[in-house]
Amino acid sequence: MEEKPKAVLIVGGGIAGIQAALDLGDMGIKVHLVERKPSIGGRMAQLDKTFPTNDCSICILAPKLADCFRHPNITLHTLSEVKEVMGQMGDFSVKLRKYARFVDEKKCVNCGDCAAKCPVKVPDEFDMELRKREAIYPYYLQGVPAVMTIDRENCLYLTREVCRICEKFCTREAIDFEQKDTDVMLNVGAIIVATGFDPYDPSGIPQYGYKRYRNVIISLEYERLICASGPTGGHLLRPSDDKPAEKIAFVQCVGSRDFKNNPYCSSVCCMHAIKEAILAYEHDPKVKSYIFYMDLRATGKGFQEYVARGEQEYNISYIRGRVAKITKDHDENPTVWYEETQSSKTKKMTTDLAVLATSLMPRRGVKELAKTLGVELDEYNFFKTDPFNPLDTTRPGIFVCGCCREPTDIPESVAQASGAAERAAETVMR
Amino acid sequence: MTFKESFEPDILGFLCNWCSYAGADLAGVSRFQYPPNIRIIRVMCSARVDPTIILEAFIRGLDGVMVLGCHLGDCHYMTGNYYTERRMKTSKNVLKSVGLSPERLLVDWVSASEGERFATLVKDFTERVRKLGSLGKETDLEPQQLRTRLTAAKEALAQERIRWLVGRERELVEDKNVFGEKVSQEEFDQLMLQTIKKEFAKIRILLSMEEDTLSVKEIAQEVEASPREVLRNMISLERDGLVSVVGIEGNSPKYRRTGV
Amino acid sequence: MNEVRVGVFVCHCGTNIGGFLNVPGLAKYALRLPHVVFAKDNQYTCSEAGLTEIRNAIAENKLNRVVVASCTPRTHEPLFRSTCKEAGLNPYLFQFVNIRDQCSWVHMQDTERATEKAKALIRMGVARVVLLEPLEETQVEVNPCALVIGGGITGMTCTLSLANRDFEVKLVEKEDRLGGTLNTLYKLYPTHEEASKLVQAKAEELKKNPKIEVLTSSEVEEVKGFVGNYDITIRQGEKDRLFKAGVIIVATGAETLKPVDMYGYDGEHVITQLELEGRLKEGRLNANTVVMIQCIGSRNEKRAYCSKVCCLTALKNAVLIREANPDAQVFVLYRDMVTQGTIYEDYYGKARETGIMFIKYSPERQPVVEDGSVRIYDELLGEELILPYDLVVLSTPMVAHLDSADLAQRLKVPVDKYGFFLEAHVKLRPVDFATDGIFVCGCAHWPANVGESISQAYGAASRASIPMSVGHVKTEPSIAVVDEDECSGCGLCELTCPFKAIRIEETEKGRKAKVIAASCKGCGACGAGCPQKAITMRHFTDEQLLAQVIPLTEVTS
Repeated sequence: MEEKPKAVLIVGGGIAGIQAALDLGDMGIKVHLVERKPSIGGRMAQLDKTFPTNDCSICILAPKLADCFRHPNITLHTLSEVKEVMGQMGDFSVKLRKYARFVDEKKCVNCGDCAAKCPVKVPDEFDMELRKREAIYPYYLQGVPAVMTIDRENCLYLTREVCRICEKFCTREAIDFEQKDTDVMLNVGAIIVATGFDPYDPSGIPQYGYKRYRNVIISLEYERLICASGPTGGHLLRPSDDKPAEKIAFVQCVGSRDFKNNPYCSSVCCMHAIKEAILAYEHDPKVKSYIFYMDLRATGKGFQEYVARGEQEYNISYIRGRVAKITKDHDENPTVWYEETQSSKTKKMTTDLAVLATSLMPRRGVKELAKTLGVELDEYNFFKTDPFNPLDTTRPGIFVCGCCREPTDIPESVAQASGAAERAAETVMR
Repeated sequence: MTFKESFEPDILGFLCNWCSYAGADLAGVSRFQYPPNIRIIRVMCSARVDPTIILEAFIRGLDGVMVLGCHLGDCHYMTGNYYTERRMKTSKNVLKSVGLSPERLLVDWVSASEGERFATLVKDFTERVRKLGSLGKETDLEPQQLRTRLTAAKEALAQERIRWLVGRERELVEDKNVFGEKVSQEEFDQLMLQTIKKEFAKIRILLSMEEDTLSVKEIAQEVEASPREVLRNMISLERDGLVSVVGIEGNSPKYRRTGV
Repeated sequence: MNEVRVGVFVCHCGTNIGGFLNVPGLAKYALRLPHVVFAKDNQYTCSEAGLTEIRNAIAENKLNRVVVASCTPRTHEPLFRSTCKEAGLNPYLFQFVNIRDQCSWVHMQDTERATEKAKALIRMGVARVVLLEPLEETQVEVNPCALVIGGGITGMTCTLSLANRDFEVKLVEKEDRLGGTLNTLYKLYPTHEEASKLVQAKAEELKKNPKIEVLTSSEVEEVKGFVGNYDITIRQGEKDRLFKAGVIIVATGAETLKPVDMYGYDGEHVITQLELEGRLKEGRLNANTVVMIQCIGSRNEKRAYCSKVCCLTALKNAVLIREANPDAQVFVLYRDMVTQGTIYEDYYGKARETGIMFIKYSPERQPVVEDGSVRIYDELLGEELILPYDLVVLSTPMVAHLDSADLAQRLKVPVDKYGFFLEAHVKLRPVDFATDGIFVCGCAHWPANVGESISQAYGAASRASIPMSVGHVKTEPSIAVVDEDECSGCGLCELTCPFKAIRIEETEKGRKAKVIAASCKGCGACGAGCPQKAITMRHFTDEQLLAQVIPLTEVTS
């Protein structure tokens, strides 16, 4: 009767997936944590600091990454995707595709000798394409597993059968071009989906000038710029001329609460814009920030105080009004055109930098994943749940947590992740 | 300036496992260079650093000490670094009372993602200590005198009174007592400085009396204080049972340490 | 006393260290240090080959201390410790020396001085390792029974979940029946299902489960002990019930602020949303014009927070009023409409379509409730309006129960300045307390919707189940140890520790500090502050730290 409980599959290695994995692992249940990027960490690893305490994001995340890596009950499958799910609650057969890294994870020590020699330079995804990386690269410096990865789309050998210089300079013989993609079958009792979000691409709102105007950026790009381990070493420099930004416009609800794009509210943007403005001021007290909002949503612990401090101590002005368009002058200074609702006047403001708080959307590929898992999505392509069974998807045995369920902040994602772990544990312990 | 001719300070760093040590590692991973004068000791939390250990470092001749913890509010052990802050403040005051520049002790906060900042802090501190010169240069004490004072300071920091005050600071200054009263930070700081002065004087006296029976005048000469001050302290020490009168020389009582 | 025999392994790490420091020279140097009987350099100490060398060297040279000088302990210490363990050596007799991340990589232009520094670091490491003591991990049994305090939707959810996981659960509820706040609510947003039905369904499931014992009309009288071993006293009427529990979950919810002396509140024509729910439930709402005012008693100087649920509550009640009486006029006077996420923003959209009228006001110009009408400055129109009303409904915030501070004291957990329970870490440990073994969820933690409370309930259940699932809690070996003969019982350590891992207790020798091994994290905050220096921090003793300081100014030969 005392059968060992089945394992649990977790799809997505961001903070939610990691928390669920750690809880289940600590309970004594085996976990397969699947992440499609070369390293776990997700969006939280890309943030500089987190509201409302302004903790350094990677500092509080890194111990959890290390715990996941070392945990005797957690098997990490990075650079992997779920391809097939069959069976039912308590007994799922899952086909996992593990993509070749072309680097031996057991031998690589992340010394970087290979990357120093690689001739390829392509935009770096983790740093939101604000800098270039080589074709053999660490996904990010504190990433786990702490090994290099070869980008098969850009590696000269893998695309054109020339080069292989990295192999020559690796003193550990860790490069292995013979690696192949492999399929692995797993048998699990429950599945947790924690695939997180992608930022909305505001090229869909041409009036904002994103991608056409160099100094109009999105929040995640801002996070990388202000982050000490980012492409500018934490200096807030304008993309157009590397000059410091001293007057910043934060444009809220870009693609959110917008019937043409996403009608829903992305929950966290009010707070992260304030945080970003506070960080700018901390870096340079000459900075003045303007936040253009519709409704200021600050509902968590300490959030309202954070809003007030922003105004009183960090030189932030809150302007209620939707930004209609952004234009630029010949110095690439963005001018923000808005309707100030309180006076019903249309106004404009020229700034050094405009930061768009873009909608949080389900990740690229979520429809296929939902189909593979056999679960329903709601009309926005978030995983569908019931308001009073908030962690259950439409398929028994498959649970969901974090931003792939609904845009939400880190504390909520973590609580939900533990909750989903509990639901999964209930399932496999039956 | 050739390296061989300029003074190379010996620097010790206490770094906490979760933040500053990780930040130092990141400096390494990112190859941010800094001078090799610093040797690092890893502790789990900066709050582990007992002020007596700081003094021991200076007794051993180190020219500068850095204590780096997590940013306030980010301590892996919740409140540890608040204690570090207060203990190091006291340590600096103690260094001042010895006659050393409190700048030889640096307390700062480095997060695990601040590799470059760590390197910069080390560079700047090494330079600062280099300018201060080798330990004691800013005083006009002989090395032996300095050591004696530092030893007394270390003993003072090992005694109940100062440790008790340091530990209760937060409570006294931030929480109200049952009568709704608080001690203001200024009042507390004054009290702390007075206590340090007193304890330091007492310990110096006790140490000067190691094996001998000495008169108040002899003690005063040894500890470079006025006989009046010394006498005041002797009365207090006698009351505490640490010294006893064993004779009179002229009209000057002679004291000996009890229980030595 | 056994002779101390130290083995030192210096790593080249390929060219990362070897390309800058004189690694063979460092190994030779190490051999000259006191107590070192074996020293060698290797290419990659962490490789299988390197680890095998360590194991062999331990056996062949009867080493009882090992030092590895290579990269950083933060990544590799566990690996080398396991290797020592495999070779029969206590893993705490191992010392790591960082000569890469904190030496070769950061002094690349000055390799001579970098090598001298590495010598100093190795000297320090050897001096420390000689003084290290073998330490054993011990464990404390965990009672597989959970105490859940609070029988509302949150408490019921965690209770059921844990019982489904086969744990014993005792659910303690102050009132005479389960249900909590939901017993006072009518219909729930966004589905409009009846609160009472949700409560009934859960309560019935609870009653059927033999693992659950429900104690209504009961309160927690006393809690003694620590994680895995709590002694609980429950007062039920005149009787006391005693039992043991391994973990505790706080799910005591919150109450709604009564706006006494605010905005003309009289409980008749000017009422709270909660009182409105009551009237809707009983079908005795007689009002054609209703004015709802948001942010009453919140988002102000006294109470800065936003209570999250009031906007949606007002919307829902407004929709229900208009459903029951399509001719009714409902005005919602708001500062910000807080309807976050997908479902709730959707609900807001639908609510707008039902014809509710929204008027935005600012905190500088508060609405004034007069006899029969409300005067309000409409921020968007830029005009003052006078709204006649039959009923004014004030949306007040959730506030902590009056007795939450008292319960907090009994459990020895903290509350924030508003009386809500304070979690271990706002971002990453939202349902844990800093004290191991106690958890919190739902409105006791912070205002939350029913859906969120349920998520948090599962979250707390998960966290609480971990020590119970494992059956024991491992104690960190490098913890604080109290010398009771030196301890004066002053209590400073207890004040200092945020984990409540050291406490003053009565003993035959008087009041003494006792360390709860299961909760101590070994941070050293207590030890470094003890006025009597009565506390030793294992593995980071004063002597072990000083041993690293002393060799620093010795001249390198």
